[in-house]
Amino acid sequence: MSVVQKGADGLGRGIDDRLGSSNFVRRSLNKVFPDHWSFMLGEIALYSFIILLLTGTYLALFYTPSLSEVVYDGSYIPLKGVTMSEAYASTLHISFDVRGGLIMRQIHHWAALLFVASIAVHLMRVFFTGAFRKPREINWVIGVGLLVMAILEGFAGYSLPDDLLSGTGARIASGIMLSIPVVGSWAAFLLLGGEYPGTELLDRLYIAHVFIVPLAILGLITVHMMMIWYQKHTQFPGPGRTEHNVVGSRLYPVYAAKAGGFFFLVFGVLALLGGLAQINPVWLYGPYDASQVSAGSQPDWYIGFLDGSTRLMPNWEFYLGGYTLSLNVLLPTVVMPGLIFTAMALYPWIEAHFITKDKRAHNLLDRPRDVPTRTAIGVASLTFYIVLLIGGGNDVIASIFNISINQISWVLRILCIVGPPIAFVITKRICLSLQKSDEHLLHHGIESGTIRRLPTGEFVEETVPLPAQYRLNLTRVAGDHEAIEGGHGDPGYDLEAVGHAEAPRSKGFFRPKGVSRVDPEQAERTEVGALEPSGKPGSPPQ
Amino acid sequence: MSDNEPSIRERLASRPTDEANSGGDSRVSDVSASDFQQTHTDPSAPQEHLTGLQFAEPLGPPRELTPAESKSAERKVSALFLLSVVGVVGFVLVYAFGEETYDQPNNWLYTPLLGVFMALALFGVGAGAVLWAKLLMPHEEAVQERHDLASSAEERAATATALKEGLAQANLGRRPMLLGSLALGGGALALLPVPFLFGLGRFQNKEIKLGTTGWREGVRLIRQNGTPVRLGDLDVGAVESVFPDVDHGTKLADSPALLIRMSPEELRLEGEAAEWTYEGHVVYSSVCTHLGCPVKLYEQQTHNLFCPCHQSTFDAAHGAKVIFGPAARPLPQLAISVDEDGYFVAQGDFSEPTGPSYWERG
Repeated sequence: MSVVQKGADGLGRGIDDRLGSSNFVRRSLNKVFPDHWSFMLGEIALYSFIILLLTGTYLALFYTPSLSEVVYDGSYIPLKGVTMSEAYASTLHISFDVRGGLIMRQIHHWAALLFVASIAVHLMRVFFTGAFRKPREINWVIGVGLLVMAILEGFAGYSLPDDLLSGTGARIASGIMLSIPVVGSWAAFLLLGGEYPGTELLDRLYIAHVFIVPLAILGLITVHMMMIWYQKHTQFPGPGRTEHNVVGSRLYPVYAAKAGGFFFLVFGVLALLGGLAQINPVWLYGPYDASQVSAGSQPDWYIGFLDGSTRLMPNWEFYLGGYTLSLNVLLPTVVMPGLIFTAMALYPWIEAHFITKDKRAHNLLDRPRDVPTRTAIGVASLTFYIVLLIGGGNDVIASIFNISINQISWVLRILCIVGPPIAFVITKRICLSLQKSDEHLLHHGIESGTIRRLPTGEFVEETVPLPAQYRLNLTRVAGDHEAIEGGHGDPGYDLEAVGHAEAPRSKGFFRPKGVSRVDPEQAERTEVGALEPSGKPGSPPQ
Repeated sequence: MSDNEPSIRERLASRPTDEANSGGDSRVSDVSASDFQQTHTDPSAPQEHLTGLQFAEPLGPPRELTPAESKSAERKVSALFLLSVVGVVGFVLVYAFGEETYDQPNNWLYTPLLGVFMALALFGVGAGAVLWAKLLMPHEEAVQERHDLASSAEERAATATALKEGLAQANLGRRPMLLGSLALGGGALALLPVPFLFGLGRFQNKEIKLGTTGWREGVRLIRQNGTPVRLGDLDVGAVESVFPDVDHGTKLADSPALLIRMSPEELRLEGEAAEWTYEGHVVYSSVCTHLGCPVKLYEQQTHNLFCPCHQSTFDAAHGAKVIFGPAARPLPQLAISVDEDGYFVAQGDFSEPTGPSYWERG
């Protein structure tokens, strides 16, 4: 027995003597994780957050959240002798006089953009595959909360350097708070310590950015992960995969090696971006000055949709007996995001109670085409979002393409109302026709391109039947789970029910009428018997 | 189409059903050894460490690697790990010996090089680990049962009983006075932090007031560099950013204004607003009435003032009324005149509060 093994044995015994951890550790190491590229999106978000903590801690060692005025005397010559806030001066100090400070700042900023972006894409994956369904609704809500927190965290951090751009952003934020009826000016004074810009803004934002919000994010991520662990990950349907098992590789060693390596790959990409791609060059913007702004001012991308909604909103303002109601600010910046995030958080219940009436647990994921209405809702929402995002850059578009900004704004105003319904209808039609093409593949097989002449003189087209694993995917909707269950013990679900991804009262939500997804071969030889033995094309399956 | 491929479906299907069910209620325990059988290895070998797992594919790489292939894979992975050493050494060298100050134009490579070496170091370890898993670790399709998340009815009932019993022992139901006083006490306690919120807002500072700016009667209009603006300094069509000549006048966020000169016949103001101008000079607040951005882009021919943040557009010739965009109110006008020395002065504060709207604004 080698020394290393002796040492490891001793260590293991020592720990287990005290914690009794063997069983837990073994079960954890043996935990199975399903494999799919789209499951890495959430990982990217987690890793970005870790990188944000690492780089942010380093930056915090040098940053001073103070609006006190100093005269700059650092290495950056163009700003030498300029009066500026201590916050801005310390940001310049990090960028020019701290060794490796600039790359830290740039990695931090890129990681922030990636953090929000990967949350958003991860959320889309979860939405379009139906991973939010029972039993995972709570984790979906936590995910929406994380998205909101990430946006707030990003905005607070963006405002800290106190350069011209970020100061303008903070001023807009204070204007937004002022628009809240009754308590608006109180809320703004609470945050700013007085009328804008006040004296406290940076201290408050700083504490929010380095302590309050990150702590909330950390807590939510912890619960998010624990629930994934406890409820086990969803999986795409495939051979041997059922509602009652999870198929993939064990945590140790394969999954751990891949996931651990992936962290370093994400970090590597961010390091490359931080080194090569300049981001937020605050020294070019100059210190904040309430009387100045540069044209083409753009926030970070994740604020863009709010900027767009603010730009596109008509100028509705009402005066009620000595009080002002600024709907032109309140609706696009407070009410709209509030409604959107609330609707997002509630969507799992909205779908289950009002659309599908399907209140069963689901561990197998949907293909987006198999749930056309949900997919269409998602694409319509994305259309709305993208129109607003484009609206956030309407001035840049106007100057690049030399078009009237008024025309762009009007087109976008109309598009954000008309676009989503059009996107809804188109998406649904595409999903339905994809289903029809699936059905065609299933019943007709793959076209081989060979025409054979029979002895009788008849010409027939040769087709190649679909391989079994593809057939499984295509027929799943028609209730093929029993066929792949293969006589498992009853795990407590209603197998008959779970087998049908389709709920009884909601045919339109899932597929066009009259399309059969029954695998003809399965139907003929299946011994499990849940399928209609006749299963002929065109008849709706049971 | 035959179903002859070694699918898990068939293997699972061929399993005796009593064996699959032998654990009784398989929801409760997914780690009972008797529930599962190993389909791929010698059943006589001890497999306690794999309890609760089945394997759809045989353990082992997807195909047997030849010794040469195996060696080559090992070399690739090792090379990647060693790449990290190169990255770290490069990073340290650049970090220590590169000059970072930007006053020397030759050092623009410092941060990019740091990034490249840092990325090399990180990619080496990351790609090495992933490749190791992909090339040299056995590919497996492990199958693990899910446990049912819902508890049994008995379990739920027992928990409900425990909760109720606790409540009964606390006597809450039979002692309404306790309950009422607790509600009052707890509610009062919840209000305790509210005064601290008032402290945050500095409500004790009565001087802070929305709706007033640094402009008062007789205050001169100064430029950002502090020099006062004199009648005749501006040609027709010119504009000038002006600030009140008071303490920190150029720093007051609600006071910046724009002095515009146009020919008097172009200026179409009505009522007393016409008297607030001086020989074709008119002053508007440059704080946008939408969200407070500086409205400083002036189009001479159309007299349009444009806000770069949300594109609100104001017509300076017509009292800065809104002609496009999300702003609802015209920019407030500052009444001006000229003092005995020929310098512009304010006649008082703005005609109404500057900047974004707020509830109490009226």
